[in-house]
Amino acid sequence: MNPNYQHSIYQILQLPLKFVSAMAVAIVLISPQTAQAIQLHASSEGIITHQMGHLFFLLSMVALIFTISGKNLNKQKGWRLIQYSAFFFTLWNLDTITAHFIDNQIHAVHIENISLTQIRVVAQNGSSILSWFYYVLKLDHLLCVPAMFFLYRGLSSLVKEQKQIAIKEDV
Amino acid sequence: MIISFFPILVVDVIGSVLMVVIALFCLYKARILRAIDPDNAVFLYMLWIATGFTVFSVSRSFGHILRQFLILTSNSETWSSISSFSGSVNTVSFMLVGLITLFFNQSWNINEKILSGRKRLEDTHIKLVDLNQTLEHKVIERTERMTSSEHKSRRIFEQSLDTIVVIDETFNIAEINPAGVALTGYKKEEMLQKKMGLKDFLSQSSEWDRIRSILETHEYILNDETDFLRADNSQVRVLITGGVDYGAFGCGKTFHFIIKNINDKKQMEQQIAQADKLAALGELSAGVAHEINNPLGIILGFTQLMLKEESGFEEDLKTIEKHVKNCKTVVSDLLSFSRKGSLVKSRVDVTKVVYDVIKFLANHTDFRNVEIRMALSEEESLIILGNEQELAQVVINLIINARHAVDKKGIIEVLTEKNDKQQILILVKDNGTGIRKKYFSRIFDPFFTTKPAGQGTGLGLSVGYGIIRRHGGDITVRNRKEKGAAFIISLPIVSPDAPEDDLV
Repeated sequence: MNPNYQHSIYQILQLPLKFVSAMAVAIVLISPQTAQAIQLHASSEGIITHQMGHLFFLLSMVALIFTISGKNLNKQKGWRLIQYSAFFFTLWNLDTITAHFIDNQIHAVHIENISLTQIRVVAQNGSSILSWFYYVLKLDHLLCVPAMFFLYRGLSSLVKEQKQIAIKEDV
Repeated sequence: MIISFFPILVVDVIGSVLMVVIALFCLYKARILRAIDPDNAVFLYMLWIATGFTVFSVSRSFGHILRQFLILTSNSETWSSISSFSGSVNTVSFMLVGLITLFFNQSWNINEKILSGRKRLEDTHIKLVDLNQTLEHKVIERTERMTSSEHKSRRIFEQSLDTIVVIDETFNIAEINPAGVALTGYKKEEMLQKKMGLKDFLSQSSEWDRIRSILETHEYILNDETDFLRADNSQVRVLITGGVDYGAFGCGKTFHFIIKNINDKKQMEQQIAQADKLAALGELSAGVAHEINNPLGIILGFTQLMLKEESGFEEDLKTIEKHVKNCKTVVSDLLSFSRKGSLVKSRVDVTKVVYDVIKFLANHTDFRNVEIRMALSEEESLIILGNEQELAQVVINLIINARHAVDKKGIIEVLTEKNDKQQILILVKDNGTGIRKKYFSRIFDPFFTTKPAGQGTGLGLSVGYGIIRRHGGDITVRNRKEKGAAFIISLPIVSPDAPEDDLV
């Protein structure tokens, strides 16, 4: 392998590590606690962190969509499908963020298992619309499975394209 | 609101399984993509993305399926105790995916730079290969040209009939061609080992100073005539053309000479000049002889008539008669030289004529102390068309001259032979003093003699010359290498079977 390529790939691999290191340094610097202090965490931190993760995932997918468009890669089938995938993951993230917000954060809705086949969706304000809305949100696999499928199709298309290029180069 | 749990259960379980399966397929495709072009940074990035999604899908699907399983089996409390861990893993996994995704732009740009660099590298490589090939072709082409040129030059050098000699700046021979070896008579190795130069071949050392002076003045010498002294001490007339080569590619200064052997040409020119001169003299002699012959006849006739009567002047008249007869002999010789005399031609056996002459002269007292060696051809076909008496007279003259040259004591060799040009050669050689160079051009002139006054008329050789020319032949003279001179008569041969009528 060309040493220049190795160097570039090595740089890519180092990027996440640099980012994590930078984040850790930033957290330490802005932390108001004393060095030996042990912070007590509330149970709500978990859902907030989870929501922040979803939000981060969402933003990264949006960024991917715009990056692909910005580079005109959406003219290629493979990248266009990956863009669709990002779009569906964005929707999925919105779905999950909303669902988590309703049930875990503001506790506006909760589910009670009545039997093996039936559940009761209980909205705090008794709104059936909210219940139905929540019920639909719970079917989030209808968004993330297509998203994953588009990713697969996008990668397949890129593989096919690359193989054709390789054949042309051989010819 | 009570609602069916089934759609949620089905979508959740099947969706989770599909997520894992499709994620694994994605990972598989990403690996293929990476394998196609391992150097592509974007494909490496896609592998990272696919890996992230696989981790995300597996962690999430595992959590979902486990949750449904525990709820359906009425183990909700168990799920409550592990849901936090499942959720945390799930959070970390999609944050990881999001994190990796953010680096798409950088990965793409880096890959673009890599591809751009690779393209430039390939273009440069192609150019370099092209340049290299062009260079190789040029080198091959020029090498072939140089080889061809060198071969041609070598052939010219080796095959030239003229001498080509290269002299170095110390005036020693650096290179000489086979023609030069033949001209000088020295071996090439000998010339190089002894560090011989052009000056070693010049018959006079002053000639080298002259040639060198011309070279230093003009840097060339053109068609300069001089004499070469060969290894066997014989002289050759040569024409020298040469110039200075100041060298190239680090070579030293050299002198290049082309030396042409003009000895034969010079000799031929001299012979032509001699023949022309003798022809002119012949014309003159014929005119004079004709004008003198008639008055001499009248004087001789009247003198003989007066001698028949007594007059008291008989002694004086006999003296007049004797001198008139001498004059008539001279006039007759002149006429023979000028080819104006009559010639009765017949078949003549040259060997027999020469043999008879030698037999006749050998008994003469003047040849008592002279050894005459005969080497006569035994071929019967040495027949010419001519006059036997005149031919005998020429041979007698030559042998008598040879006897004078050896000063009454020495060796005279007489040879007859046939050469490749269908000519009969009669050679009369002696080991006498030889002929001085300055006499060569005059030796056949009428009345030219080196003998003391009164001992020769100077007509012998000129008469012989006239006779031989009249027979369609030629007579030449040269000094022998060892000692003495050699006269060579060449006469056209006649086939012994030819009819007599065809010979006239």
